[in-house]
Amino acid sequence: MKITYLWIVVLIVGISFSATAQDQLSPERKQAVDSLALEKVRDLSKYISIIGSKETPWSEANRVIDRAEELFMTDSEIGVSSINNPNDINYYNVRKYFERLMRLNYKKVEIEWYNIEYMSDLQKQPDGTYVGVITIFQKFKGYDAEGRLIYQDTTKKDITVFVKRKETQIGGRLIGFWDVLLGDMRVKETSK
Amino acid sequence: MSIMVKNASRITMLVLATIIILGSATSCRSKKKLAREKAAAEYATKVEQAKNDLTAMLNGSTNWSLDEQDVRLNSIKSYNIDDPEVIDLISKVAAKISMERAEAERLAEEESLKREEAERKMKESPKHQEIDDQLNSISTSTTIDAANKKIMLSMDQFASPDVPVLIIISQYGGINDYDRPTTISKFLNYLKDKKQYKYTVESVKRDGLGKITELELIKK
Repeated sequence: MKITYLWIVVLIVGISFSATAQDQLSPERKQAVDSLALEKVRDLSKYISIIGSKETPWSEANRVIDRAEELFMTDSEIGVSSINNPNDINYYNVRKYFERLMRLNYKKVEIEWYNIEYMSDLQKQPDGTYVGVITIFQKFKGYDAEGRLIYQDTTKKDITVFVKRKETQIGGRLIGFWDVLLGDMRVKETSK
Repeated sequence: MSIMVKNASRITMLVLATIIILGSATSCRSKKKLAREKAAAEYATKVEQAKNDLTAMLNGSTNWSLDEQDVRLNSIKSYNIDDPEVIDLISKVAAKISMERAEAERLAEEESLKREEAERKMKESPKHQEIDDQLNSISTSTTIDAANKKIMLSMDQFASPDVPVLIIISQYGGINDYDRPTTISKFLNYLKDKKQYKYTVESVKRDGLGKITELELIKK
């Protein structure tokens, strides 16, 4: 009887050890996941630039809004500030932010993101989700019909990133993938 | 007088014979002893040499191949040395050789699989190169209209706009890590938006009509 209990304990310890070992990411895999999350932020940067551009056809902008929205977790918010009142930051639902961006009252809009990097590295949470913060700098320029620059600012923004390992069946195969979702995008600084 | 001389001569002969017999017996005994001592010394040397060789094989400090180690081990086994240390070393070395042989076989198998996989990829690469070129061409289109036309043409090769596209982001220890799966329609538009194609086609699945039903890419 004692031996049976001993075997059960050994089995449980073995299974837990094996699960923990599989759960630990090697530095190479962690680096791939880090890059994937950064890539999603770069995708967002591209989408924002396309949505904001007055040269983008309406149908294309709407398609890109759908893609951009898919990058975010439900109910995420994006902060908007102005150089005229830097401390007054308004937060919009992701969809509303993009629709507002598409309709900005300028003849030409240029949006550029740079210095995209981790402010805090992806850290594993008790539920298995990896959470980190990526900082970006956004340069916004708005021109009038005469091509004059009538507004510009630079904002530093923090984007929370959530990465979780998931599985799905495709063509009878079980595919393990990393689901990267962006959370709130908070304004940290606004300057000219 | 003559009798006395005869007797003395007989006695002398007897004494001589006794001395010879005793001498030869003693010499025989000492030869056997020497032989025993020699055999014991040879056995001790053999045991010592066996211990040295077995320890070296166990520590991996020889430059013998696995086959050479096997030959030496079998030769030591054939001595039937009755020494607990040697017996223990023999069993340890036998286990080590068998483990190393299994590992060598596993590595050879792995190497052969890698070679086969590389050959398969070499054979498939011209087919995939065409798809890579098409996807790259969408990403380098100069206008939205040009990109849309290429997307429409490319879509013809796929069984439906919802054909799954799997993107491998890393491969380590036999594990593929993927990005969130997408569809071909979304992926082609993504290339148009990003103006960048930094993947290579890893595998393609087709239906009976030759249309692509699954596309697997790997991030460069």
